[in-house]
Amino acid sequence: MDKDNAIEVRDVKKKFKIYYDKGNDLKDRILFRNRSHYEDRWVLKGISFSVKKGEAIGLIGHNGCGKSTTLKLLTKIMYPDSGTIEMCGRVSSLIELGAGFHPDMSGRENIYTNASIFGLTKKEIDKRLNDIIEFSELEEFIDNPVRTYSSGMYMRLAFSVAINVSANILLIDEILAVGDANFQKKCFDKLREIKAEGTTIVIVSHALEQIEQICETSYWIEDGLIKESGTPKYVHEHYLYSMEQKRIEQLEKTHNAEVAGNQTESEKKPEESLPDFCDKSAVRMGTGDVRFTDAQMRNEKGEKQYIFDTEDKITVYLKYKSEKKGLKGNFGYGIFREDSLHCYGTNVSIECDDFVPIEESGEVSVTFQNSLLPGKYFLDVAVHSHDGIIFDDIRRVQSFVVSSSKRDIGVCRLQSEWSVNGKIFKKGVK
Amino acid sequence: MNIFKELYDYRQMIFSLVRKDLRGRYKGSVLGFLWTFINPLFQLLVYTIAFSFILPSPIEKYYLHLFVALIPWIFFSSSVQGGANSIIASKDLVSKIYFPREVIPISYVTSCFVNMLLSFIIIFLVVIVSGVGINPLAMLCLPVIMIVEYIMALGMAMLFSAITVFFRDMEHILSIITMAWIYLTPVLYPINMIENKTIQKLFYINPMTSVIVAYRDVLYYAKVPDLSTLLIAFGFGILILFIGFFVFSKLKRHFAEEL
Repeated sequence: MDKDNAIEVRDVKKKFKIYYDKGNDLKDRILFRNRSHYEDRWVLKGISFSVKKGEAIGLIGHNGCGKSTTLKLLTKIMYPDSGTIEMCGRVSSLIELGAGFHPDMSGRENIYTNASIFGLTKKEIDKRLNDIIEFSELEEFIDNPVRTYSSGMYMRLAFSVAINVSANILLIDEILAVGDANFQKKCFDKLREIKAEGTTIVIVSHALEQIEQICETSYWIEDGLIKESGTPKYVHEHYLYSMEQKRIEQLEKTHNAEVAGNQTESEKKPEESLPDFCDKSAVRMGTGDVRFTDAQMRNEKGEKQYIFDTEDKITVYLKYKSEKKGLKGNFGYGIFREDSLHCYGTNVSIECDDFVPIEESGEVSVTFQNSLLPGKYFLDVAVHSHDGIIFDDIRRVQSFVVSSSKRDIGVCRLQSEWSVNGKIFKKGVK
Repeated sequence: MNIFKELYDYRQMIFSLVRKDLRGRYKGSVLGFLWTFINPLFQLLVYTIAFSFILPSPIEKYYLHLFVALIPWIFFSSSVQGGANSIIASKDLVSKIYFPREVIPISYVTSCFVNMLLSFIIIFLVVIVSGVGINPLAMLCLPVIMIVEYIMALGMAMLFSAITVFFRDMEHILSIITMAWIYLTPVLYPINMIENKTIQKLFYINPMTSVIVAYRDVLYYAKVPDLSTLLIAFGFGILILFIGFFVFSKLKRHFAEEL
């Protein structure tokens, strides 16, 4: 083992036995011997990494990818089936907070119990007792039984013990959600402090910003293998992008199912139902003097599409038929988010201060620069007369999805250019 | 032999768990820790009444005869039965945190042991009050007997706690075994009630026999016990402890997955 390293993990593999029908007692074992079939599931398929002393790393990945298992192997709760793990120094884990707490015993007594589980001797605990109590901000209550504590107080006490163990290696699993915002910040500052003192830290978390703030390296684990590692920010961007892709695939599936559902429905009641180009949830109003016969969302190449990037140009393409001749009217569209937030709406009259002549049949298209942030949206289209009579108005005529790999938040993207101390920062628009 | 150094480092944990168990047991009750004494005291009272009036025994001071054997027996049987279940009972700790797993059965047995020691305060009182008196030389043997019993109880607890994790029936099998075992050990009757000397010898194959007989020699007869049979019991205790540690160390790696 390299003497600069605190943790070395070499080609670690771990499998779990998944029993189809597990018999744990004698009867089951004898009678149904054939039944206790099991399947080996390889949770880790060969993971290697090393962590330098005083370094912090983050493990990320979707649920069930093996990151918590990795942490359990590091804690020595479980052992790998092959490969080796070497660690140097005292290891403390913030996996289970408040282990061994007895509700009827006082906070002070529980500090002793809990800290002793981390392998501290009485002397060592005595030395840290004041720090622990001070950090937990529970001075007044420390001699009350723990069962009288609120859950926040309980967690604060537990976290204070765990973080004051002064380990050489600290393993953390998704626990920085302790207490109120103030205490969380305090925990975070404490983490930085002990990191500065040379403690090696391994964090498993879904809170990517936290990892970005404290870790030098991030490991993205997928299907039991390290898919990518490096600077947290970049790894996370790729990770989020891949998650987004998966989500979209899922959406596409449901969308296709919905379209299929639409068709069967329209076959059932051909007169009453909405035309095929409408979303299942669409609502139609109006006199019917003018009727839309098609509505599509298109990309720049003019192809039908319903998933767009935040930066895409989107075209709404409409076809109509009119029963009367010589009408003048006004076309409009609107966009609502899934939670019915009205994101945008405009019409020809607003834009051009004029009405347009409506022919017997025709087509309308409007192209806009999308800047909506990721989410599911609905398109409304309408055609009115010049004096406001609704000819046709279809709410939720189309649904579409916006995705983006950038992680800005809000409703829509405001193109931003940063200038700090005269130096201009701008990431190229892709 | 790394495990012993590690266990030494975790001595505070053993201490904490024992304390938590002893203090936690009666927390919230009005009499609290006093129950530790009230329990055996009333047990004794019931035996005295039962075996004086309801079921008179030819043995003189039968209540004491029984009591000095029953308290150590309860320590042993609860260590084996409860100890076997101890790992499963501390599943939350075992599956979430690293510590030498041996700590769990050790602290369980130790807590039973401390409980027995506290009951001995009552025993001493009764021994003095009943007029049997205390033989100082015999009393010196008492710690030795206790240690021998502790070693045996610990060995059994280690062995079965590890096995029970993988084979849950063990718990129920053990409760039947200990139920039968009490009759194979002279707890309820004196060893010399078995008149056939060969059969009496056979009874000594059971290591608990020499332990119980030794307790009774010291506390009921106020005489120095036969240390040679105790030595065999000691040898047996060491053997079972060794097996217990060995099996435990083989199985403990898979505890977390199995729980």
